[in-house]
Amino acid sequence: MTAANSPGTERNLGEPDALHRPVRAAVLACCMAACLVLALVGVPRERAELPAVAREALQAAEAQWHLDEPVNEVVYGTRGFDTFGETFLLLAAVVSVTTLTRRRETRGDEDGEQGEQEAGGREQADVDPSPGLDRGESRARAAETREQSGGPSEQSDGSSPGGTTYPDDERLGSPAPERADAMTVVTRTAARTAAPVLAIAGVYLAAEGYSPGGGFPAGAVLLGVILLLWAGFGRERLGRAVRAQSLESLELAGAAAIIAIEVLGLAIKGSVSANWLPLAGSPTTILSGGVLQAFSGSELVEVSTGLTLAVFSLIAMRHDWTPDEEDAADGRDAAPAGPELET
Amino acid sequence: MIVVNYIAAACVFGLGLYTVLSRRNLIKIVMGLSLMESSTYLLLISLAYRRGSTAPVLSNPQSGQTASSLARGNVADPILQNFCLTAIVIGVGVTAVFLSVAVRIAQHYRTLDADRIRALRG
Repeated sequence: MTAANSPGTERNLGEPDALHRPVRAAVLACCMAACLVLALVGVPRERAELPAVAREALQAAEAQWHLDEPVNEVVYGTRGFDTFGETFLLLAAVVSVTTLTRRRETRGDEDGEQGEQEAGGREQADVDPSPGLDRGESRARAAETREQSGGPSEQSDGSSPGGTTYPDDERLGSPAPERADAMTVVTRTAARTAAPVLAIAGVYLAAEGYSPGGGFPAGAVLLGVILLLWAGFGRERLGRAVRAQSLESLELAGAAAIIAIEVLGLAIKGSVSANWLPLAGSPTTILSGGVLQAFSGSELVEVSTGLTLAVFSLIAMRHDWTPDEEDAADGRDAAPAGPELET
Repeated sequence: MIVVNYIAAACVFGLGLYTVLSRRNLIKIVMGLSLMESSTYLLLISLAYRRGSTAPVLSNPQSGQTASSLARGNVADPILQNFCLTAIVIGVGVTAVFLSVAVRIAQHYRTLDADRIRALRG
């Protein structure tokens, strides 16, 4: 990766901004807020009648779908096609995140299929004819390889510490930084106890809830369970159980199930989101809602796996070990490698 | 006085817009966008509210009432509550994409300062 060095006249993030930027921003933001206030003062308030579409959804929930929670009837029934689109927007976001955060890949020179490495090497030689990798670049590539293979990271003095998995295994009071991937026995025990309860609560929320429950909130609960286990047991241990390939397959299976439910409604009943399953006699049973329950379950799979993939991709983004380049213009170091948060 | 909520939502939106326009740190710009998203949640839930209403749930009606009478009675707007749910899910996805782009920019340019990211200039 290249560091785009900037001229020496530029400010750091820690330096104060010129006054014109916050002043202009404040004027624009105040104007926008004032326009919004003017518009919102005129919208219906708490004493207004419910819109006809809301009243219709409330009445269709029980009469048409045998449900007692109209919000789910709206999500998967009245606005089912919108939810269908929203699901694939979420899928697109997850694909974007996983693509943006993926590791450096080899370019297939071994099998000779693509030859990108070779082609890129020729171009690189034209731009930068200096032979081979310098010492910093070699160390960066070695560190990257070690990190990708799950090995210990390199110390500042070049030694490899041979990290431990749990902090309980480390000697108390040792001057070295803590290398453990997981957390202490107290946190791990709490995570072990809470995770099954939360997982069951999440699945119940989708399966029963107010019948049917919501796949979206239940998916978020399951993501919380996985993050709790991640925090308690660490990346390495959880990575053995929760694999990206399995999650991707599950997510696509959830998306395929949603497509099938909607397309079958169109084929059998002539309308997307129409119910083509038998309805239970009364609300609050797991069979009430017909395709809504199936849609909700598919959303549970789609949302929980999609959000888990997105969050894990962000958490697992690897360190960029490439050293900063010297600024040729004035001889000072390029911008610092770490994120600067002060303004 | 639900109009206070509307005004608060407009103010939070303005605050988010101010953050996006005035900050140079990409993470703070993403935080500003999240603030703008959050203002829509407040607005949608406030628009769904009706004075003295119950949640749009038709189970366990009180004595003398049925689910049908509840549906015709004073309940909050389920459509706007659904919009809020949709907005939250989309907000999570969009924020995740923004953050991953910000991290990649930080790794490539060695800075999170929007002023120093020059490849798109011109």
